[in-house]
This record gives sequence, structure tokens and C-alpha cells, in this order.
Amino acid sequence: MTFGPGVGNVGMYVAREMLVSVPEDQRENYLRMVEEISDLKYQLGVEVARQLPRLLAQSDPELVRQYLTQVSIVAKLGWKSGVEVAKQLPDLYEAPDPELAANYVEIIEHATKGTAESAENIELAAELSRLEKEIQEMEPKVKRAQELRTELSAHDRRDEKRKKHAVELATALPPLLARLRPRHRPTYLAQVQRVAGADPEASLEAADTLLDLLNGERVSHEGANEWVNRGLDVLERNKEVGRGYFRLGSKYSLQVLEELREGLALKSVARVLKLYATALSGRDIAIRSTEDMNSLEIYTADHIVLPADMRVFDDERQNFAAYKVATAQGAGRIEFGTYAFDLDEISDTVDAIRTKYWS
Amino acid sequence: MGVESQRVEEFRRTEEPYYLPIGNEVSLFEAAYNARLPVMLKGPTGCGKTRFVEHMSWRLGRTLITVACHEDLTASDLVGKYTLQNDATVWQDGPLTTAVKSGGIAYLDEVVEARKDTTVVIHPLTDDRRVLPIEKKGEIVQAPGDFMLVISYNPGYQSVLKDLKHSTKQRFVAIEFDYPKPELEQTILQEEAGIDADTASKLVKIGEKVRNLRTHGLEEGVSTRLLVYAGQLIAGGVDPVEACESTICKPITDDVEMQRSIIEIIATQF
Repeated sequence: MTFGPGVGNVGMYVAREMLVSVPEDQRENYLRMVEEISDLKYQLGVEVARQLPRLLAQSDPELVRQYLTQVSIVAKLGWKSGVEVAKQLPDLYEAPDPELAANYVEIIEHATKGTAESAENIELAAELSRLEKEIQEMEPKVKRAQELRTELSAHDRRDEKRKKHAVELATALPPLLARLRPRHRPTYLAQVQRVAGADPEASLEAADTLLDLLNGERVSHEGANEWVNRGLDVLERNKEVGRGYFRLGSKYSLQVLEELREGLALKSVARVLKLYATALSGRDIAIRSTEDMNSLEIYTADHIVLPADMRVFDDERQNFAAYKVATAQGAGRIEFGTYAFDLDEISDTVDAIRTKYWS
Repeated sequence: MGVESQRVEEFRRTEEPYYLPIGNEVSLFEAAYNARLPVMLKGPTGCGKTRFVEHMSWRLGRTLITVACHEDLTASDLVGKYTLQNDATVWQDGPLTTAVKSGGIAYLDEVVEARKDTTVVIHPLTDDRRVLPIEKKGEIVQAPGDFMLVISYNPGYQSVLKDLKHSTKQRFVAIEFDYPKPELEQTILQEEAGIDADTASKLVKIGEKVRNLRTHGLEEGVSTRLLVYAGQLIAGGVDPVEACESTICKPITDDVEMQRSIIEIIATQF
């Protein structure tokens, strides 16, 4: 089969062999008729294209018009019936009884059209279609309502949680305030209030951390303000990460703190100072921070107590030198036993000194 | 004088190597030599063991053949082996055999590093037999009266896997070395490096302080040899702090914090 010209807008092609069988003066007419019928259904067009050359050959335009009309009537009720009628009709036209074809079409028409129940079905189907359309239109609203329900529920839960943490803050804050050095109070309260406004749970962490930072002189008041600023930025992006920040549980938080810290941190040079003191004195000396003072007997063991930060100078090298001087002094004290005397022996020591310097 | 004798004579010191006694080690060594006893020198690296043996070989007028022992050193390396020369197989004496035959001092430096089979040749030389069995030749060489075996041994380096057996240790007279006392070390530095007393004194103090860091991350303290190096660089015009960093600080540790603390110690003196 080779393809002939295209017909209509259903992408149908009439076979060239089929077109050849149509008388030449009828071809244009043939293609137009196939095009019209194929508008109803592609398969119908195929069948009509196949049957029409036979009818056109009879040079009976009335017969052709009747054929197309009858096929169209049935096809409009049911396209599959229409295809079958289009296939059978040319044979029936040749029957001796000229009424046979019309009777045949009438029976198929009634059979396809059905009874009143079918008509009711059509109405039901139409109603269903209408309802489905309405439901479809409602879908975005239903979805939005669900979203609002979820959001409101989350708000309620958050609100409940917020209130719970506010209660916890109310309990935790007084003992923290009691431990806070008075000169840090305004800064501390202002910063805790800022965090509490954003997230009471984070403010519990911030209250604890700020107490240590300010009491331990690890940040200035301006530094505390900046540290909270950066933390609130984090909190705004992600609550959990923000809470971690205020707990000093994130790398970023420690980095910010290190950045804001003024002077030289003892922990960054503690081992160097320990080795330095050990080398100078020949004793195994430990370096401790003033922050550990509560747990240490300062003058009774081989350790040197130094401030957690050295901020005497702006320059790190000079601050290290200050640490070094303090370490050397401490190492000397330990090496030569400045505090290594017993009160019971003090009278002997006084006698020894008197003998040495006044005799 | 044969070729072999000529070769051995190259190992005789004609000039006195500088050595400042730190105790009774000279008299002990002489007594051991006279009694034909082998000697074991114990002490940390760079404290003067090798220099002491060189000094004693000059003092006793004996040749000194030194073998730096390593983990691949076998008994054959010490005793000798057959080698191919043209179409013939020729026996080549090892350093120990050469020392035994020539009646000199054989010094096995860091003997514990050598393979275990070396003890087979060391043991018969260190008891009253004083013989060296050369298994491959089926020969036994009797050590002459003036032959002496000396080994060195650094207890700080030893581990369970590498240590001298007691059966070996108990064949030697042990002379223990340590870093010299400050005043002696200062004299050594002045003499060896050609520096003034003040610089030498500062270097000695640095050495003393750095040695306090043993057991705190340093395997060994700074040796007298390194202090001499520092002195030599300073005498050569290098800035004292830079000289000390290059000879005292960097060779003994790769730990950055340890290096920094040593630099601070150096800075207290220079």
C-alpha cells in the first residue's frame, strides 16, 4: 500500500490504490466526503473510504448521499455501530428488496439508541460529570484548608511548647541572676530578653552560656551583643541549630566566640607554657586556668594558675610574653619552694633567717 | 709491611682526640684493657661514647676499627666472606677479624641493632677463650693479648623486641655515660666549638633545661654533640637563636608545641 493524499485533520491518509479505483472526476468529491465522515471518528472514515469507491462507481449520487446520511445517523449514536453499518450497507443496497437497507439501518439505530433507561443514564452521567467538575474545582480549596489546619495545629503545639519553656525560664533565671556579677547585669538581661523573645527554649541555653561568658570575662559586653546577634540569625534559619548555637554546641558558635574573644586564650598556649615551666624547673608542672580556681588548692601543688585570657596588650606576641613571665614566676616559686613550708617549722625558719641576716 | 697491615695502620690515631673525662672512665677502661676484658659503653646518644673510644685507642696506642651496627648486619659481615675476584674465589676478612688479627680495638657501635647471629661470634671473644671462630673457613683465630672488644649500647632506645640478652650483657665491663656536668660541658663546648665562656655557659643552660623535658614528650634530651654543633654555628657567625633552633630544637622533635617551648627556652638565654 502506498499513501495518497492526507484527508481532514485526523491524520488519515487514503491509500493511493483506493484513490485510483475512484473515477477521476469523482476523486475530489470522494476525498471531501471521507474528510467529513472521518470528523465523526477516524475508524469510520477508514471504513467509508474503503466502501465509497464501490458506490461512486455506480454513478448514483443519490445513493452515495443516502449512504453517508445513514452511516452518520448510526455513527452519531455509537461510532462502532456506525463503522459496522458503513461496512454492511453497500451489500444491502444491492439486495432485491430496496427497503431492506432502510430497515436494517432503522433496527441498528434503535438498538444503538436503547431505551428510556439509557436516556436516564445519560442524564445521570451528565450530572456526575457536572459534580466531578465541581469537585475538581474544589480540590485546591480542600488542599489549602488541610494546609491551614496543619499549620494552625503546629502553631498551637509551638505555642504550648513556648509557654512550657517560658515557665522553665522563669524557674531557671533567678539562680543564674544570683551568680551573675552585678556589673554584667544590664547586658545579661538585655541579651537573654532578646533570645527569649525569639525562642524561650533557646533562651534557656543562652542564659546559661552568657552567664559563663560574662562572669568568666570571655567576652566583652559588646562581644556578648554580637554573639547573640549572630545566634539570632542562626535561630531564624533553623530553630534546632540555633539552640545548639546558644548551647555553644556548634562549631560556628565557638568560632564566633573565638573571633570576639579579646586577647590570647590560655587553652591555646597551655601546653607550650607547661613544657616551658617544666623545662625551667625540672618539675612536672601543670597549667591551670583561673576558671578552675574553686577546685584547686592554689599554693600546695605543682601547678601554675594563669588567667583564662591574657588581654594586657593588643598584640598576641606580647600577651604570650606576659603569660611567659607569669609562668616563669610560677615555675620559680615551685622550683625554689616559696610556699613549701610548714607553719610548725616557721619558728625554726625565723631563727635561721635571724642568724643569717642579723647575727 | 704487607697490604693488610698497611690497611689496618690507617685506623691508628696519630693525634690526640679531644676528650674531657667526666669520671673514672679512663682508668676503668685502662684497667679492663690490661685485664683483657671486653667493655660495654652505656649512655644516651651524643654524650661522647665514640669520642671516648677514639681517645682510648690513641691513649693505648692501638688501632681502632669501628663498625656502625644496623639491622641487616650479620655475623658474616663482621667475620668475613668469600668474594669473587677475576676467576677465583677469595676470602675477605671482615672488620672484626681484621681487628682481632691486628690486635687492635674493635668497636661495635649500637651492637643491639645487629642481627642476633652476631652474638655467636661475639661470645667466644668475650670470655677467657678470646677466640674468633670463622665457620666458613673452618678456622679459629686466637685473639692476641692487645685485642679488645668494645660495644656501645643506648638503654634509652631498647624495647622488648630489641635488647641485649643477659647472657651477652654479663660478659662486659660496663662503663656508664651521661651528659657531662654543666661546668665540664661548658669546657667541652669551648674547646670543641671554639666559643667564649659566656656563650658556652648559655648553651649548657639551654641543654640542661631542654633535658628536663625528657619523659614529657622528648625521647632524649639535647646531646652534648648538638650543643657543640650549635657552638660551631655561632662561632661561624650564625645568629645564636637561629643556630640553636637548627641544632637544638628542630633535630630532636617534630612536635610543634614542643618546638615552640624549646624556642622560648632558647630565648631566655639569647
